[in-house]
Amino acid sequence: MLNLLTAEKFKLHRSKKLWIVLGILLLLPIMQAVNSILEVDNGKELVQVKDTVINGATGILMMEKNGFTILLVFSAFISFFIGEEFQNGTIRNALSLGRGRTLYYLSKLVITALISFIGVIILTASGIILFSLVFGFGEVAEINDYFGYAIKTFSTLYLLILANVSIYVMISFLTKNSSISLIWSFLYTMATAFLPEIFLQTEHFKYVTFWFTETYLNYSDFANLADIAKYPEMILVSLITIVLSSTLGILHFNRTDIK
Amino acid sequence: MSETIFKATNITKIYGENKALDKVSIEIKRGMIYGLIGKNGAGKSTFMRTVMGLIKVNEGDIELFGKTDKKGLQLARRKMGQSIETPALYPELTAQENLKVQAANGGVSEREIDDLLRLMNLENTGKKKAKNFSLGMRQRLAIASTLITNPEFLILDEPTNGLDPSGIVNMREIIQRLVTERGITVLLSSHLLDELSQVATHYGILHDGKLISELSKEELASKTRQYIELETMDVQSAVIVLDELGIRDYEVISGTGINIYEHLDDVAKINRSLVLANVDILRIGTTRQKLEEYFLQLTGGTPNA
Repeated sequence: MLNLLTAEKFKLHRSKKLWIVLGILLLLPIMQAVNSILEVDNGKELVQVKDTVINGATGILMMEKNGFTILLVFSAFISFFIGEEFQNGTIRNALSLGRGRTLYYLSKLVITALISFIGVIILTASGIILFSLVFGFGEVAEINDYFGYAIKTFSTLYLLILANVSIYVMISFLTKNSSISLIWSFLYTMATAFLPEIFLQTEHFKYVTFWFTETYLNYSDFANLADIAKYPEMILVSLITIVLSSTLGILHFNRTDIK
Repeated sequence: MSETIFKATNITKIYGENKALDKVSIEIKRGMIYGLIGKNGAGKSTFMRTVMGLIKVNEGDIELFGKTDKKGLQLARRKMGQSIETPALYPELTAQENLKVQAANGGVSEREIDDLLRLMNLENTGKKKAKNFSLGMRQRLAIASTLITNPEFLILDEPTNGLDPSGIVNMREIIQRLVTERGITVLLSSHLLDELSQVATHYGILHDGKLISELSKEELASKTRQYIELETMDVQSAVIVLDELGIRDYEVISGTGINIYEHLDDVAKINRSLVLANVDILRIGTTRQKLEEYFLQLTGGTPNA
């Protein structure tokens, strides 16, 4: 596993796509801070429920504010990162050396999880710093232990993102092609982002939507005490998603023929 | 008796209703350069993929370095290197970085990288990315990449594909050097028998997924050797004359044709003796069955196969 991770390090070192992803995640908070300044200058008052991030303290919610964008960026990166291994034939180089397929799959999952972690750290840290500089650190309403809240919120949001990352990894290994993976990942992201809005209106299906992590990411307010109380449920759904998608992905990859 | 490096027994691979490999059995001993010949789509790449464990077989057994169980085969594959079909490289990385990735994959030291780049004449590529390499350079880098783990058994799928004549000669020299200097056993494929005959020591001919013939370099030379082609309306009398001349190595191939495999410099003498014996000769002359003709004869194919 360590050998495969070392190999990934060399590949990523020169990956333009990785730097583009990290660049986007650094640029987002800058643009949003500038946008908020312009709105306030035009007489608008920032409201946490609507604007999500209104000061340094609420900067911890950058993942919530940018959930959809983050997922689209990660889905594209993962589709290329894994799909190109199949298309360039480089996947053969590792597998033909007797490396186990399960280990190979897990090494890709670990690396994408790590990149996602670095990405959301950059996004959140720069969000907190920039919004603190512009609007002051402030506070999150009704939160007394900010540090504890920040850790729990960041971890929960990251897990929700990670669950989707795990789905994208599975899709990439199922499709074995970056373009097809890109399409399916995009469709999955769009469907789980917008379909819940319809299903939440129905009594019979509204519970089904909460088996998809993106529902929590898009339809919860992580500064609201009622939604904060759902963190254990969100963590459970995320973990189940990661385990199920990885198991499915590994089982399929172990049976698949490599061209 | 040389050690058996690889043995495939009755390997069968089915895609839908098409048998890509049909009970293929091949044994490769240490030091061999085994050439797998077949038309495009004959099953060469599929066979190589099964050896590397990249595709699952429907039937049959594989033995590598004496191991047959799943774990043993997995470990045995660490003693192997492969370049199947197109060179599998990271286009955005330099030659050195590509080798570093493969060294990490194999869990081996990076010490040999410079030597390998020199061996493959790639030492001056510097910061040039693999995507800007010529096909020949990419083929050489792919082979360097397979050598980083010091393999004992190398699998090369059509390594000369797409190369210009000088690139083909260069690649042939590299393969021969690997065998003589590093003692590597090689399984390589081509759809050109002429090309393979310059390096291989043993041959297996695949056709429609079946191994239709296996022969050594000597056997191939004998099958494609030079001979005197004689065409006459009176084969019986001609045979008597040949016997009187002390010629033993000949073959009556049809009602009018005889192939004579000795006394190749005595065409005039044979001709004279036949005429004196009142044997009507339609045609006589030396000829050589080309390797490709032999291959086509076996596979029943067309010349552009």
